Amino acid sequence: MIARKVMLLGEIGVGKSSLARRLVLDRFDSDYLPTIGVNVYRYEVKPPPAQGPISLIVWDTDGNFGESIFSHVYMKQAAAAFIVGDITRRATLDTMLRLRSGFRDAFPGRYDALIVNKMDIAAGEEAHLPDALAVGAPGVYHTSAKTGDNVRRAFDEAAATILRRGL
Amino acid sequence: MPDLQDADSAPQPSPLLTAGRLLAERGIYGLVWFGRDLVVSARYGRLTDFCEVGDPLTDNCIALIGLEDDVLALAGQPPGHVIDIPAVAIMAGDRDLPRVNLTVFWHAESSSFLMLVARATSRSEMEGELSKQMRARLMAEAEVVEKSRQLARANRDLEDFAGVISHDLKAPMRALRFAAEDVRASLDAGDIDAARQRLDEVEARTRRMSSMMTALLDYASVGRKSDVAETIETAEIVAEVVRSLLLPDGFRVDVTGTWPQLRTVRAALDLVLRNLIENAVKHHDRASGRIEVSARPESEILVIVVADDGPGIAPVHHETVLLPFRTLARPGQAEGTGMGLAFVKRTVATVGGRLAIRSDPATRRGTEFVLTWPRSIDA
Repeated sequence: MIARKVMLLGEIGVGKSSLARRLVLDRFDSDYLPTIGVNVYRYEVKPPPAQGPISLIVWDTDGNFGESIFSHVYMKQAAAAFIVGDITRRATLDTMLRLRSGFRDAFPGRYDALIVNKMDIAAGEEAHLPDALAVGAPGVYHTSAKTGDNVRRAFDEAAATILRRGL
Repeated sequence: MPDLQDADSAPQPSPLLTAGRLLAERGIYGLVWFGRDLVVSARYGRLTDFCEVGDPLTDNCIALIGLEDDVLALAGQPPGHVIDIPAVAIMAGDRDLPRVNLTVFWHAESSSFLMLVARATSRSEMEGELSKQMRARLMAEAEVVEKSRQLARANRDLEDFAGVISHDLKAPMRALRFAAEDVRASLDAGDIDAARQRLDEVEARTRRMSSMMTALLDYASVGRKSDVAETIETAEIVAEVVRSLLLPDGFRVDVTGTWPQLRTVRAALDLVLRNLIENAVKHHDRASGRIEVSARPESEILVIVVADDGPGIAPVHHETVLLPFRTLARPGQAEGTGMGLAFVKRTVATVGGRLAIRSDPATRRGTEFVLTWPRSIDA
């Protein structure tokens, strides 16, 4: 089975680890444990995409890296990046856009997606998102690691794209 | 510790080997040997329990997936070249492995690769606590920023509301005063019929002002009511709205596209569709017309378009028409409160959607109101 490395990037506390645990273990833990270094998960896409079976090796990184992550060994040979922000913290959404630029500069041609997380406590904030992060904007997923909304879809669609583009 | 100088004692392992064995048994470090086929050929120490001899290394050491070529390239590089991956925790379901530093190098003596697995330092606990506190501080700061933003938004709403009241209600109040003065003048002149007519005007104006106040209060309460999100069939809602409308002869509404299930506030969608269709009919400049209401589902949104073949709205008015008490009604057209589109805009915003107008009478007739409606909300 093909396996491809994908990164979870974003500021601390935006829900990277919760997304990974929801994806792989279908669990949500409300107790926060900050990620030191990197946690690595394997997610087998089920059902497999039309192009064939694939596993995503999800690297859940420490949010303290900021943009220096792009020169870190963790990023080596990454096929894709999911850049995560917290809808209740506007500053993390600004960081998302900067991280996406940084990823595209450092890894041109790789797949990236923006994940606006914690939609379960969004309380109508969607209407105030910048256009680049609005509901329906291309390459943007609005998720809740707590409820599971859209989490699997974001990663499954990425897997299909990775296979289709041969990344 | 054995006495290395005692030649008469049985061969004892060297202190170095003894220490090494102790550290490996205690899970401080481990060693994995593997060949160019990346299959584990030997392993040593408790920290390497995640892999088995004979298995492909990346079956369990998933942190090396994607780095296979980089590993193999070490064999052709000068000594000292390594691949170093610090502070990795491989999460294997309920069997999470300890956080380790992985160092891979080419071991020329054994013509194989050697991976040193060393436990990451325990300062991670302190770092974890520091990170927790930093996060708590960031969350608290974010909450303050968010509350400030909400407060600013509420203040803007209040200012808009006050502006509408002072500006848009001033004119009818003034007209009411003039009408009352006219009544007095007619009574002073003994012209009872004229006075009666003026009183009819006063009555009509007060009724209109009452409608405006009601509409304004309803507008202010949009999004503040405890509306509940539920799963709805949008096809039923739009059909019901169209059925309930009293369309003038010569006008028809066509419903096209795909109308899926949504999780949203039923009343909000009903209000928006109803107001947009009624608005299209009210501002039409011909005796007959067609309004098309179409829907196109996308992954997270439903795109709804209400399109008419009326006179259109000039781009310069696209923002104005969405304000309270604004109307582009032409002379002779029935006057409304001018709140319909303002209600639409505010209602769409409360469900997290967006509204855009596409129209330019200079190029062609017609107006399209384009809504993007989230397919699932929690209200």
